[in-house]
Amino acid sequence: MSRFLLKRIGLALVTLVLLSMLVFAIAQLLPGDVGRNVLGPFATQQSVDQLNHQLGVDRPVYDQYATWVDHLSHGDLGESFQYQGSSVWSLLGPALVNSLKLAALAFVLVVPLAIVGGVFAGLREGRISDRVITVTGLSLTAVPEFVTAIVLIVIFGVALKWLPVTAQAPAGSGFFTQVEHLLLPAFALVMVLFGYIARMARAGTIEALDSDYTRTASLKGLSQQTVVRKHVLRNALLPTIAVVATQTGYLIGGLVVIEKVFNYPGIGQRIYTAATNKDFAVLEAGLLIVGVVYLVATLLADILYSALNPRIRHATTE
Amino acid sequence: MVDREQRRRFEEYRKNDIGPAENTLLDEFAAGDMDRGEFLKRASLFGLSAAGVSAALGAFGHAPAAWGAREAVKAGGRLRIGILPPPVKGLDPWTYLDLGGLGTGSIAGEFLTRATRTLKLIPEIALSWKPNANATVWTYKLRPGVKFQNGQPLTADDVVATYKRLVDPNSGSQALSAFKGVLSSGGIQKVDSETVAFHLDAPTASFPYLTSSTTYQAIILPANVQAGDFQKGGNATGAFKLTSYTPGVGAKFDRFTGWWGGHAPLDGIDVTFYTAAAAIDAALLGGQIDLINQIQVASDRPLLNNSNVQLFPAKGSTHREICMRVDMHNALSHWQVRQAIALTLDRPAIVKTLFKGLSDLGNDNPWAPAFPSTVKLPQRHKDLRTARQLMAAAGYHKGFSIQLTTEQTGEIPQLAQILQRSVKAIGIKMSLQILTATAYFAGTQSGPPSGWGNTPWLNAPMNITDWGGRAVPDVFLTSAFETKGIWNAPHYSNKAFDKIAKSYLGAISLKDQRKYARQGELILLHDTPTIIPYFYYYLGAGSKSVKGYQANAQGTIFVSHTSLA
Repeated sequence: MSRFLLKRIGLALVTLVLLSMLVFAIAQLLPGDVGRNVLGPFATQQSVDQLNHQLGVDRPVYDQYATWVDHLSHGDLGESFQYQGSSVWSLLGPALVNSLKLAALAFVLVVPLAIVGGVFAGLREGRISDRVITVTGLSLTAVPEFVTAIVLIVIFGVALKWLPVTAQAPAGSGFFTQVEHLLLPAFALVMVLFGYIARMARAGTIEALDSDYTRTASLKGLSQQTVVRKHVLRNALLPTIAVVATQTGYLIGGLVVIEKVFNYPGIGQRIYTAATNKDFAVLEAGLLIVGVVYLVATLLADILYSALNPRIRHATTE
Repeated sequence: MVDREQRRRFEEYRKNDIGPAENTLLDEFAAGDMDRGEFLKRASLFGLSAAGVSAALGAFGHAPAAWGAREAVKAGGRLRIGILPPPVKGLDPWTYLDLGGLGTGSIAGEFLTRATRTLKLIPEIALSWKPNANATVWTYKLRPGVKFQNGQPLTADDVVATYKRLVDPNSGSQALSAFKGVLSSGGIQKVDSETVAFHLDAPTASFPYLTSSTTYQAIILPANVQAGDFQKGGNATGAFKLTSYTPGVGAKFDRFTGWWGGHAPLDGIDVTFYTAAAAIDAALLGGQIDLINQIQVASDRPLLNNSNVQLFPAKGSTHREICMRVDMHNALSHWQVRQAIALTLDRPAIVKTLFKGLSDLGNDNPWAPAFPSTVKLPQRHKDLRTARQLMAAAGYHKGFSIQLTTEQTGEIPQLAQILQRSVKAIGIKMSLQILTATAYFAGTQSGPPSGWGNTPWLNAPMNITDWGGRAVPDVFLTSAFETKGIWNAPHYSNKAFDKIAKSYLGAISLKDQRKYARQGELILLHDTPTIIPYFYYYLGAGSKSVKGYQANAQGTIFVSHTSLA
């Protein structure tokens, strides 16, 4: 197991290095000029050139990359180009915390709901309840999240005034107030993710129910509840774990639209703002952070997968 | 009947207390060259005292000015303001170039004078201001007893340092264009601890507007302020002190108990930054904010005609310029073709579609209806028959192809599509290149290939650019229309116009300003290097609980006298 982990961590590090190089290269293709973006369209060319030189963006790309890696190795993410005087971490840190809060609430809501729904549908394959769950899930997944978000805002936030329309709670708010503010965006995410996760759980359940070991367990005289709990679920949820892990990256760094609509200062919006303003320092650090989160999530998923599936565990130790 | 004694005193006042510029104003008013509203506006520009204004109104047979007391307001509560978009960078006032920054900073900051919604100037940090005979020197008396929010008393040194920073090309000042050709560093002089004199580079009758809130970078700061200090709080003089600021998220302000103006009704201001119109509209309708700094008709329709929302309109000179390069040796180099394009536009329909009528019509020159010096010439209207005749006269009866480059800002993409459809009627095939604002303003702005660098907005054959409102048209004239103006996107050059613009800028009397404005308008109507289809109103929006708030066309947020019901 430890060899397996070391191998995965090693691969993750290589992936991160390649990711940072790719991001650096792609960022050069973004339109606009850093100094012009910061100083605006009416600044003199001289002051724009001066700022570009001060920020070091007029140096060759490989030189800039080498400097950035050197600073990163000392734990220094640098200073924002756009908000001069503000460190990159002071901008990304709170944004990451916000994104983690929203992702956590969305996970807590959607994962049990989708798994229960998918397993239930799988156990009742072909029946009305199966159809309802499947069609509902598919329909909700097909609707773009910003449409769902607007509908939720209009109904629950504006018309009924049951929930706040902005996801950011006032500073100093307690746990329950923060949760209250995050409910609407979390519901929007639940609607987007439910269908996909439920369908994977359903497919896994159907496959497990059709397998020889399930038939053997039933023929041995075990109750259906015991068969499902001890044999079906464990195998049915393997693909679901992989799916949930891959959604982590989306939930942490890909919620730009949800964050915009609910005015939530998450890491997705920060990265988007950095990209549009050519704030390389924040952009690269932000993408790297999202990459790390994604890799940690998939690593955890792999560990859980291997813990649940002895075949995987034994194959890696041979 | 005017009392003889009153008239005698008034004549003595004119002889002893005011200068030639002010007397010219009074003569014009007496001759009926301006109405009462314009007189009050011009009187504020020249710093006439309330007593002087009252005496003039009485002497010339008008009803006295109503200097009534403000209605009683309810004290307490925190006003929640939504600002869209967020400041694009830090909060140093001299660097403001965007609505987010100037809106946020203006909650705490103050100016020498403040321009009201109707462009009347009222004293703020300065108590009075007077020109010399030819408006080349303006002397400002400062209000005594003003303190910065960090406890430091304000003196003339602070005002001098503020303005020197504004005109310093190495400071990062975004106000350079406003003061170019008007004020240099050496002309800003301290007379005594409460008096500052501005010695101008050229006669400028409208100079007080440049020292007012319409130059939103001109917030008075301590002389020793450094870059990054403003957002730490305490470096302004206004009724509310900035206590916290998080880039991209929001800011908080608390009542400043040492404010020279007394006790502001509100306890504080909580600002939240938004990046999407849908989010800010939902926040207002959902009761999470009380006021939105600016809304656009195109993107904020849920707020219009909503019984729970009140709108705060302000007429101004914000507009879009459809520029046509005159120097490219193509169809657009002919004035007939440019006029023809202008004649394809149905301006009333455009204003109704894009702004629900909340806009003045433009007449292809920068003299907006909001300016007192504007002369109302016959409005250009849609006339396809004349347009086709002009195209034929220029040799383009079959039309031609052209690309229009513009930015994704506000309603500009819709305006571009309207233009594309309109010019089809005279055979012009127009393709659209709509860039992000970042890409549109990217590149260099000086030097080769054409003197305007290579940035799209100053070099595309045809483009549409957004222009923020100003209290006077001076910057529009010098930057956008004068030969080699730094933002002269059509690369227009007309020596006669240059001469008229210079005369206009130096004219002191309204009569002379109107004379030159008329000449300038006529030239631009003929040459049409630029189409200006409208000057749309600035709109703020708020809940019905907001009392005593007025928006202004520059986007500054003045809430010192605002209260919550």
